[in-house]
Amino acid sequence: MINKVLAALLLLAALCSPVAAETTIVFATDATWPPMEFVNDQKQVVGYSIDFMTAAGKEAGFKPVFKNTAWDGIFAGLASKKYDAIVSSVSITEERKKAMDFSEPYYTVRQALIVGKASTAKSLADLKGQKVGGQIGTTGYFAIKAVAGVEAKSYDEVGLAMEDLNVGRIAAVVCDDPVAANYAIDKYKDNLKIASVIETGEAENYGVAVNKGSAETLALIDKGIKAVKAKGLDKELKKKWIGQ
Amino acid sequence: MSEPEITKIEVGDGAAIPRPEDKGLVSAWWIALFGAIALLVFLPWYKPDPYLNILRFVPDGIIVTFEVTVFSISLAIVIGLLTGLGRLSRNRFINLIASLYVEVVRGIPLLVQLFYIYYALGRFVRVPDLVAAVIAMAFCYGAYMGEVFRAGIKSIDSGQTEASLSLGFNHRQTMAYVILPQAWRTILPPVGNEFIALLKDTSLVSILAVADILRRGREYASESFNYFETYTMIALIYLLITLVLSKLISIMEHRLSHYERR
Repeated sequence: MINKVLAALLLLAALCSPVAAETTIVFATDATWPPMEFVNDQKQVVGYSIDFMTAAGKEAGFKPVFKNTAWDGIFAGLASKKYDAIVSSVSITEERKKAMDFSEPYYTVRQALIVGKASTAKSLADLKGQKVGGQIGTTGYFAIKAVAGVEAKSYDEVGLAMEDLNVGRIAAVVCDDPVAANYAIDKYKDNLKIASVIETGEAENYGVAVNKGSAETLALIDKGIKAVKAKGLDKELKKKWIGQ
Repeated sequence: MSEPEITKIEVGDGAAIPRPEDKGLVSAWWIALFGAIALLVFLPWYKPDPYLNILRFVPDGIIVTFEVTVFSISLAIVIGLLTGLGRLSRNRFINLIASLYVEVVRGIPLLVQLFYIYYALGRFVRVPDLVAAVIAMAFCYGAYMGEVFRAGIKSIDSGQTEASLSLGFNHRQTMAYVILPQAWRTILPPVGNEFIALLKDTSLVSILAVADILRRGREYASESFNYFETYTMIALIYLLITLVLSKLISIMEHRLSHYERR
C-alpha cells in the first residue's frame, strides 16, 4: 500500500515538475484486446502495444503512462485532451485521419472471421441473414457493415462478442487477426475456430493516434517507433506476445 | 389506526408528472416540450450533417427501445401482481419466496442483473438477445411492481374484506372480485411512473449489444466522431418521449380520479 502511495506521489511529482528530465506522454488504451493490450491477473495493463511503446519511450526519451480507457469514447477523450495519445490497436483509416493524426505504423493486421467449430461458413457472404458481431467503432465492425444482408451487431468489448458467439447468439465475430487467434486458438479453442482472413483491400496498420497539431508528441513517438523497428525489437515482442 | 400521521416525502424516479389542473402554457413541462421539439427540428434543418444523419440513423433503435419497454412492463406487471399477492399471502412459504425475491432484486444493481442474466446465465439458457434483455428488465421491475401492488391492495379498507368474507366469499374470490378491481385505481398511476422509469432504464440494455436508441447513437458517434452532436440528439429524443408519456399518464390519472372528485 505504502509503495502504491509512494508511486502515486512520485508520478504526481513527475507530472507537476516543470523541469522533468524526460517528457511524460499519457497513452489511453482499451485493455480488452488481448494479446495487444489487456489486463493481466496482477491487474497490470500489459501486451504487445504496451511493451512496444515502453521500448519506444526508452529509445526516444519519453516516459509512457498508460491509462485504461473504454473503447467507446476513447477518441472523444483524446479530442477533449484527457490524454496525449491513443495506443490501442487503432487501425489507420482515411475516416480517422480526418479527425486525428497518426504515427508511423507499428503493426500490420488483417481482419479475421471467427465462427463456431461446426460452422461451414468461409466468408461474410456465407452469413447472409445472420447476426455477426464486432466491437463498436472498430474496422472489424465496419467490415461486417460493408457486407449487405449480414446483420451487424456492435459490442462494447470484443470479449463480450466472443462469449455471445460461444453461446450461439450470433453466427460469427470479426476482429483483428492477433486477437482472433488469442480467442479462437487459446481461450475458446474447443468451441470456436478462425474461418478465414477477410480481404479488405489494402493492408491495415496500427498507428498511435494524437490530436491534430500535436506535432511534438508525434515526433517523439515516431522517433521511438522507428528506433524500435531499426533495432529489431518488434520481432522479439512478436515472439513474446503473438508467438510467430 | 391510532398511529400518528407522518409526512411522507415521495420521490419518484420517473419523469415529473404534470399536474392535471395546471392548464397554463408557461409550465416546466411545456417549456421542456417546446424546447425539445424546437431543437429536434431546428438542428437538423440548420446543420443536416450530422444532425439529420443522426435522426436518420436511430429510428430502428427507437422501435427496439419501445419493444423492450412494452414487453418488459407487461411481464413485470404479471410478476408484480404475483409478488404483491405473495407478499400478502397468509401462507408462510409463499410469503417467504415473494419477500426473498423482492429483497434479492432490490439489493442488486440493475446493471449487474443485466450482465448476470445475459452473460452468466447465457451459458445455460440460450435465448435470443432481445428476450434476455426483456427477462432481465422484467425480473428487476417485477420486484418494484410487486411493492406497488402490495401497497395498492393494502390501501383498500379492511372493512371491504370483512364484509366480503361475511357475505360468504372465500379469500380468493374476495381478492379477485372485491379488492383488486378497486385497487387498480390506486395501482395504475405508479405503474405509469414505473413505465417511464423502465423506458429510461432500457438504455442500459445497450451494453448487451441490443440495438436500442442509445446503442444506435453510440454506433453513429463511434464512426463519425461527432460525440457532442450525437448525444445531444439522443438526449433530446429520450426527453421528448418521456415528456409525451408523462402527459399521457397525467391524463390517465385525471380520468381515474373522476370518482373522487364527484
